[in-house]
Formats: sequence, structure tokens, C-alpha cells
Amino acid sequence: MIDINNVTYTYNVTDAMGKRVERIALKNFSLNVKEGQVVVLTGGSGCGKSTVLRLINGLIPHYFAGELHGDVKVNNINVSTNPIYDTAKIVGTVFQNPKNQFFNVDSTSELAFNAENFGRNPDMIINDIDRVSSWMNLNPLIDRSMFELSGGEKQKIACASIAVADTPIIVLDEPTSNLDARGIEKLRKVIALWKKQKKTIIIAEHRLYFLKGLADRVLILKDGEIKKKMNGTVFDALSIAETTKLGLRAVNIEKISDKVRAITAKRTLGKRYISIENLEYVYPDGEHGISRKKLDIPTGAIVCIVGDNGKGKSTLAKCLCGLNKKAKGRVIYDTKQLPLRNMLEHCFMVMQDVNYQLFTESVNDEIQLSVDSKIEEECVNKSNEAMKMLDIEDLPKLHPMALSGGQKQRVALACAVASSKEILILDEPTSGLDYYHMIEVARVLKMLTDNNRTVIVITHDIELVNECADYVIEM
Amino acid sequence: MDISINTFNTSGDRALLDPRTSIYAIIVISVVMIGGRLSGIEYILRVISCMIPVVFLFAKKNYKLGMIYFLLALLAMIIEGSAIQTSSGFLNLLLVIISGTISRFVPQFMMAYCFMSYTKVSELIVSLEKMHLPDVVIISLAVMFRFFPTIAEENRCVVDAMNMRKTKTKKFSLIERLEYQIVPIMMQSVRIADELSQAAMTKGLGINIHRTHICEVGFRYRDYLMIILLTAILLLFFIY
Repeated sequence: MIDINNVTYTYNVTDAMGKRVERIALKNFSLNVKEGQVVVLTGGSGCGKSTVLRLINGLIPHYFAGELHGDVKVNNINVSTNPIYDTAKIVGTVFQNPKNQFFNVDSTSELAFNAENFGRNPDMIINDIDRVSSWMNLNPLIDRSMFELSGGEKQKIACASIAVADTPIIVLDEPTSNLDARGIEKLRKVIALWKKQKKTIIIAEHRLYFLKGLADRVLILKDGEIKKKMNGTVFDALSIAETTKLGLRAVNIEKISDKVRAITAKRTLGKRYISIENLEYVYPDGEHGISRKKLDIPTGAIVCIVGDNGKGKSTLAKCLCGLNKKAKGRVIYDTKQLPLRNMLEHCFMVMQDVNYQLFTESVNDEIQLSVDSKIEEECVNKSNEAMKMLDIEDLPKLHPMALSGGQKQRVALACAVASSKEILILDEPTSGLDYYHMIEVARVLKMLTDNNRTVIVITHDIELVNECADYVIEM
Repeated sequence: MDISINTFNTSGDRALLDPRTSIYAIIVISVVMIGGRLSGIEYILRVISCMIPVVFLFAKKNYKLGMIYFLLALLAMIIEGSAIQTSSGFLNLLLVIISGTISRFVPQFMMAYCFMSYTKVSELIVSLEKMHLPDVVIISLAVMFRFFPTIAEENRCVVDAMNMRKTKTKKFSLIERLEYQIVPIMMQSVRIADELSQAAMTKGLGINIHRTHICEVGFRYRDYLMIILLTAILLLFFIY
């Protein structure tokens, strides 16, 4: 079905300093996949797993600039010479970001989009949409505005439009990185159904637990080469110790560990709290909302708020830091009573997509902008201090947008530190991160609490919770 | 949180009129309402034209807006038909300004609003294809419609981020605000466009491919009726 033979691929990219460089993504890579197999590619960021998918769906060489040696055949057709809109009829692709892969404003048109592009008979397409929506339970999603749907629902529509197009091969590029636990569960079910229908599936992923029982083969990549191969049964049995040793996310995800629970229970006494009372917020639709009578958040610690009630958690984060002006409630903090709105003076939120928060031309400007002072000297001092604390002293001249995801996150955190705000809120800081980067985030968070700051982490990443939580609040 | 921004119809219902008829209606209403005189046959044509959107607002069950618009248009027409002819001086000027702003600009805007509320983007695209516009234009238009709500969403996030950065001592000047707002939105838009083009390619979209479509677009009796009515208005308007 898929034959990749001795492929070496080099991207032509521009680095942070603006120089043109060549980055080797794959070295002598070979992969043969038979019909009906589910193959998982995993490994740290930049290991080349997404590149493999791009070879299969034709984005390499048709979209990305680089140098390709070796040949890639899908269904015995050479991908690099075949026009990409023909390859699209055999290979369906689900991307990482649910937001940026749909074309239509309404969901039904989106479901039909792939099949329409193939020039298929409209009556057949409508039939297929009906069929797919019954086996995927899509009825609540039909005829909706794409902009109203949650990330998980958008990803489900993306999968469904491929199911309607009925391509024999499906590739998924980190499909869970923007999904919550519920969204991931939905995706898992879809993949299980595809597996039953004998589709050939290739998945590149960091997060592995949802693939347990689905994968036939697992390849661990490092620096563009296959480091380790295993079959499905071996993969399913990997313990946490083994995956940690391999530098991977856990396969056998556990619940919140007993250790963390024990710590939480022990520490609750004799601590200072930020108390939020009568928190209430109603969504613009007037029906749904969140409300909590009382929420106690201990200060000077890492507090993880977990639970998978869809959008509720991110909304809570926005309410907590006072960005939701319509949210009602009051806060007792440092024996003072303040309305929820005023939390903005004490809180800083690092958003899930940190790109929204970086405005200026250099890291240095970015951090100095946050300092609450007009005196030049103080600005410089405070920003240097913050950079030192977050280990980004070597970056001040660079443009924030040229940094890697993890570095951007740190710049945002440094802004918070420099602004002397004492409460930091992080919304899903580890979505789409591999094992090492997740551990790195945990380390930075611990460092911040050592400096007497309160860190609130809104997350569904149980691995992160077990790594760093002082307290866990389940919603 | 996520406020839905609907630029176009997303329900499963078929559009009340073919998009081509709708566009024709917007053009005719604009011509008659902006250019028409306040006496003779042109006045009658204006009364008819400005009532066309009322029909569609009611057909879409948008009774509240339909009533408001109907009363406004009626008021403007009554003023233009009687009061303006008999009054003079300052009162006359005032009446001309009031009725003029309503009658000369609101009806075509309402028609465009109706058009957007009952037409799906895919229907518009198909009808543009039927009008033999080049693929390049159509694909760009399709992407544009999808981008409006996206930019609104992005903007909200950036404003949030900016509010978080406000400090007591520093205030952003207008220029700074503009820069800090536009830069992230542009960066995000470039990224979205990049990811979107990748998605488009893997979904088989391309220039010079034969596409089919599941939405039904075509002239029905009501379209022919509407076209006859609009053409009659236009002919009378130009002949007299």
C-alpha cells in the first residue's frame, strides 16, 4: 500500500537569525505498510514523524521546499510526480489544528467538500453523508456553523469529511494536540471504526495512551532515523518506567497518582488561600455557563485544575484572571475583598496559543513592556531578572515570533514575572508537547513557585499533573 | 468565550432565491432607491422596491427586524410622498435629511442582509461558477468569507492578551495599540493561511479540476417572478 524506500529529505528553512539553512528531516528512511495496518510514528519534536506523513500525502514535494532523494509510492503511484489533487483521492489527511483545516462556514458543506473536489456524483455524496453520520453519531453536528463547534467537534468533522470521501489511506498529524480528554476519546472511537473497515492508518503523535489497543506497529524516530520498532502487543504493555526511559509520553496512563493525592490531602491545612465566592458566568447563548459557590486556591504552590468538561475550564481561567467582564463573583485575597474583575491587577494568564501574547520586535522589548514602572533603569533591571529566572538570557535580541513554542511560552512567563503579578494562570501549557518539553514546563513551574508565586494550571494532561502538582482541584 | 459570528447561512435550508437573483435584486434596489426622484412613476417604483426586503425578512421569520424596517420604510415613504411636497424652509430640509438617509441607503443594505442570512457560502460559490467566473477569483472569495469570522476570533484573543499587559503606570498610545494588535493578528493570519493551503491541497482542491456540489442551485418559479418584477422596475425607471 505504502512504500517509502531510502528517503532522505532536507527542508530549506530560515532560522531565528534570518539566515537560510538546510535542516535534515529524514535520513535513509524506509517504511512499508500493508493494507489495513495502523502504524504509529512517535518521538520528540522535530524527529521527522510529520515529514513522513507529508511524503505520503504529497505535501512533500508539492508544497514544502526542500530536497528529496529516494522514492515514495502509494498504491504503486509515485507521489512526487502524481498531481497532489489526485493523491488526495487515495490519502486523506487530518491535521493538528482543528481551527485551520476547514474551508466552509457550515458543517454540512465541509463534510461534502473533499468528495465534491473529487467530482463525485452529488446524490452519492448526500447518501454517504447520511451513512457516515449514522455510524459516527454526527447528527447534532449537521447544519451548524463551524465557528460554534468545539475543537473536538471540529476534529470529528475533519475525520468525517475524510470518511465521506472514503480514501483507503488516512494520515493523522498530531490529531490530539488541541483536544481535551473528551475530544481524544471521540477520535479514538473513529480510529477504531476505521481499523475495522480495514483502512490503512498512519498516525504521528506524542500522546500515546489513546492508541493502546489500536496500533499494529509503532516506530520511534530520532533525528530522522528509526530508533526502535515494536509491534502492537509490546507497545500496549509498556509501563510508565519504560516509556519514560524511551523519552515518550505514557501508554498506560494512570489516574492522578496516589502520591499527588496524598500531598494534596496533607497540605490543605494551615495555608493561605485565595477564595473565590459565588462565581457565575453564562455564555452568550444564555443556556450554558459555569457556576461555583466557593473555590479555594492555596497560594505559593502549583495548583492544577483538572476535569474534562469541555470548554468550561478555559472559561474558568478567563474568569479567574478577570478577563471575562460579564463574570460575577468576588475574591478574598490577602484579607482584602475585591470584585472578580480586579483580579486582572494580580493575575497573568499564559494562553494556550501563546502567539496572541507577543507583540513587539524583540524579547527584550516584550519583557520591558510589562514592567510596571516608567523609570528606564528599573525596567531594565526587572526584565534582566525575569530573563535570568526563566533561562532566556541569550535571547533578548531575537524576534519573539522566530522562537520555538517552548521559548515563546517562557517569554510570556518572563513578562508575567517582570510585571510583578503574583498569580500566574496557564491554560493547557503542554498541549502538543513531547515528553521532554512537558518535563521542562513542569520544571519551570516549580521554579516559579519557589519564588513565591501562585501558579494555577488548567489542564487535562494527567502526566503533567503527576509531575508537578502541589494541589489538584477536580471540576 | 466563543461568540458565534455568522456571516452566512449555516442551516440546512435551501436559499429562498438563487444567489444570482439576489444579487440582481440588490443592484436594482440600489439603482432605484439611490437615483430615483420623489414624484411620478419613480416614486411608485421606489415604494415597491423598498418593500421587497420586507417580504424576505418575514419569509425568514425575522418578524422583529421585518416590522422595524417596514415601519421605517413606510415613514420615509410617507414623508417623501406628502410632507416634503407641502413643507418649506428648515422643516423641509430636516424632513429631506431624515427620509433621505432612510430611503436612499437602508433598503439595499437590508436586501444584502437578507441575501446573507438565507444564502450558504457554498451556494454562492456554485452560482459564481455558473456565472463562469474564473476559479482563481472564486477560490479567493471562498477563502475570504471564511476569514472574516476567523479574524474576529483572533482579534478577541489579542485584545484579551493586551488587557493583561496593561499596567498602572504605562498606557498604550493609539499607535502602539494599533501595532500591538495588528502584528499578532497578521502573524496568526499568515499561519492560518499556510495551514489552510496545506489542508486545501490534501483535500483535493485545485484550479481546473471538475467539482460537483451537493447544494441545489438553480432558478425556480419564484426566481423567474422576481426577475420579471425587477426587470420591469428597471425598465420603467429608465424609460420614464
